[in-house]
Amino acid sequence: MSNIKPIADLSYRNYDGPLKKPGSRWWVIAKNGIRIALKKKALWGLMFVSAWYYLVMLVVLFFVNQVTASNPAGAQAMKAFMERLVWPDQFLHGFSYAQLPMLIIALMLGAGSIANDNRANAMLVYLSKPCDKREYLFGKWIGIALPIFVIMVVPTIIFYGYGALTFREYGFLKDAWLLPKMLAIIPIAAIFHASIVVGISSMFNQARNASATYAGIYFITNFFTLLMGGIWASSRGETPFPVKHLFYASIDGVLIGVCKAIIGTKGSAPFGIQSPGGVSQVPAPNIAAILGIALLISVVFVLIAWRKIRAVEVIG
Amino acid sequence: MAHENSSGVLSYARLVTVARISNLTVRYGNFTALDDLSCEIPEGCTGLLGPNGAGKTTLLKTILGFVNPTSGEGTVMGKDIRTDGMAIRQLIGLMPEQDCHIPGMTAVGFVSYAGELSGMPPADALRRAHEVLEYCGLGEARYRNVETYSTGMKQRIKLAQALVHGPKLLLLDEPTNGLDPRGREEMLDLVRSVSHGRGVNVIVSSHLLPDIERVCDRVIVVIKGKLRTAGTIKDLKKLAGQPADVELREPSLAFSNLLMDKGLTVAPPKGNVYRVQSELPPEELLRVVQRAAIESGAQVRGFETAVRTLEEVFLEALTS
Amino acid sequence: MIQIENASRWFGQVIGVNDVTHTIEPGVTALLGMNGAGKSTLLRLITGQIRPTTGSIKVFGNEPFANPEVYKRMGYCPEIDQFYEHRTGRQFVNYLARLAGMSAAEAKTRTDEVLHEVGMADRADKKLAGYSKGMRQRIKLAQAILHDPDIILLDEPLNGLDPVGRREFMSYLHTLAERGKTILVSSHILFEVEQMTKSIMLLHRGRLLAAGDVSLIREYIDKYPHRVRIETPQPREVAAKLIQLPYVLKVEFDEWRGGIELQTRELNQFFAFLPTLTTEENFTITGFSSPDNNLESIFHYLIE
Repeated sequence: MSNIKPIADLSYRNYDGPLKKPGSRWWVIAKNGIRIALKKKALWGLMFVSAWYYLVMLVVLFFVNQVTASNPAGAQAMKAFMERLVWPDQFLHGFSYAQLPMLIIALMLGAGSIANDNRANAMLVYLSKPCDKREYLFGKWIGIALPIFVIMVVPTIIFYGYGALTFREYGFLKDAWLLPKMLAIIPIAAIFHASIVVGISSMFNQARNASATYAGIYFITNFFTLLMGGIWASSRGETPFPVKHLFYASIDGVLIGVCKAIIGTKGSAPFGIQSPGGVSQVPAPNIAAILGIALLISVVFVLIAWRKIRAVEVIG
Repeated sequence: MAHENSSGVLSYARLVTVARISNLTVRYGNFTALDDLSCEIPEGCTGLLGPNGAGKTTLLKTILGFVNPTSGEGTVMGKDIRTDGMAIRQLIGLMPEQDCHIPGMTAVGFVSYAGELSGMPPADALRRAHEVLEYCGLGEARYRNVETYSTGMKQRIKLAQALVHGPKLLLLDEPTNGLDPRGREEMLDLVRSVSHGRGVNVIVSSHLLPDIERVCDRVIVVIKGKLRTAGTIKDLKKLAGQPADVELREPSLAFSNLLMDKGLTVAPPKGNVYRVQSELPPEELLRVVQRAAIESGAQVRGFETAVRTLEEVFLEALTS
Repeated sequence: MIQIENASRWFGQVIGVNDVTHTIEPGVTALLGMNGAGKSTLLRLITGQIRPTTGSIKVFGNEPFANPEVYKRMGYCPEIDQFYEHRTGRQFVNYLARLAGMSAAEAKTRTDEVLHEVGMADRADKKLAGYSKGMRQRIKLAQAILHDPDIILLDEPLNGLDPVGRREFMSYLHTLAERGKTILVSSHILFEVEQMTKSIMLLHRGRLLAAGDVSLIREYIDKYPHRVRIETPQPREVAAKLIQLPYVLKVEFDEWRGGIELQTRELNQFFAFLPTLTTEENFTITGFSSPDNNLESIFHYLIE
């Protein structure tokens, strides 16, 4: 303004500031999803709950380490314990036991992500902006997958760091690729959770209906997995052919299968307790098959979301 | 269009075309939504009229760059509607007809988020969101969750989210839907003030013709996918021969008979309004009318050059 | 037809309708008010969905609350439009006809009749889910007049109709009114109300602020003097003349459009005087009008 007036004109004025080119809206949407998630206090609690196996193991290992250091008599017991303990399997357990909390986290982050938008007609707002369906869906998806990834990866790295520093002489570093393997598995899990929850969310217009549906699928399939595991264990591994495959036919099952196949382990009893031989563990599935299944399920659910989000209905 | 330039003097700039559509045909399967439609939307405030199913919605979608036309072409602010949808939507603000918001947010959060979606940097978006909400009359309720808003407030926030990124063209679809008389008046004033002298061009689609008349300078009428009428409201409302409407306190047969005796054409009254046709200039006609009124004991309560209502214009376009 | 006597209704501490007394006669009456003024509560009281907390409501001399005798003679067209979306319009109306107690054959003929009357006969076999707002309004009207009621209550019936539909709907209401029906219409669109009827009920914060004929109501508003606009190329001369009249309170010059706008308390005397300016004193006046002589101004004057 060349002439400064004593009274400011506070009526409508145009915005002539910078506008970013289209193409980066997905990050705005993802950021918003994460921001809303971080406001939920329960999420912080669930983060600790999801890492419970690692936390318990850290305490156990720390205690064992301290006791043996001060009491040479315990060294014998520690040696036996360390021999029973299969290091890669601790990551398998840490990962597996995190899945139930991860389901709840996925529901908290994602059940309402599209469902609430459906209810509030938010699609009209999104799609009338320079932001298309692809960016919308991708943004929503990243907004779920990224937090899940972080929540899973942090305790894994902490546990690995502690193990690598303290238990090198007990064979912790025997598999040099263990950390890279875990860093490959966790994104697969994050993608898997995020895709399913986005797909289910898009089918509803109430977050709670989406939650109930996903939780229902989760628990029913998991019950099935438990059943198969039980049959397997009680028959000492001599059951007919399909059981060891059907064991992986659940949300958890797929992810556990991916984890076992990539780490290359069959599994062992948790906390290094005495296990009745190796037979109670279902062997790892075929790596290509299980990765294919995980990918297929993710793609199917993302496609469901894609179909359900309708871009043309912006007006009328 | 009158613009106030930097020296504060009114100047008349030439009309700039905001959207130009030529020979556009849009088909959905067998259904032809737009049929070889050509129109130009100049800057200012334009009303879009048409009965249900006439293709108004398709035209709005086309302007937003959502439609893949069967044939024909169009540009919105110089950008091709077939290929540049994203760029167009960055310059446009849409206020949809239905209730819509982004759930779980305060008004400020929602509007600044809408700004970010349009490409504004976060800091600018937040600052501008406060400004726009203030302007839309939601200043006091801006920290409230949008879900708790009343109908009128929801309508305003829809306008706010459409304005936040400073669009050059604003599309309003039934902006007064569900508003009570005060709400509707405030909304119309708001629309009128952004569309006049603020560099925002507006297209209003509404079934409520008096609303259109209040805020728009011109209208285009779309019927059966074709452009039927376009022009300024002032021109469209003009009646041939410029008759006058005379309003009496009470209908009076003696009055109209007297006028007819003097050789004037008087149409049968509508209520207590008589439409009088004559060659006289208005002030002379008024003298004749008032003498006749005094003679017949009637009282003239109103005297105006008769115009058609926009509804009459519309219905005529529909039947012709 | 409908007698409301000192009726009040509150919900907890929230008052919906506060001490309303009025008698609604046959013909079209418009129910006006802001959002939350109590219009819906009043409609629900009259339709017998709720009971007045104090006072009484009589429809044909009977209490409407839970009274099938009253319901039989009353049709209601609510504002919300949620139907059985997977049914066709015809099925829906037919179903309601059966609910109203008609036999299958009777229901069928009556359904065809009302669908024809509301102009939906050709479109009634589509699923309701695909209906536009205007079509929904017509179906709602169809179900309200199914049993040929004497009282018809319509809540925002013109919402979503295009100008053609609006006109048809209004002329149909007039036909009904001419048949002697009592019609109560709530609406926000004042110019529509103006075209429909002269008789209004204006609710404000639960109280009945005004009821009766619009022009009569205007005359009773003393607080706001009547405004008159005069188009003239000699505004100052005309103003100098008019300001001498004792009943002219204020004269303003309209810089933007030209001409003058004045305020007077005595409209009748003023308009009796006005012709002398042109016929005797030779002023040039090209037009005059009363900008506040419409429902919108009346509404604002009363509410503010």
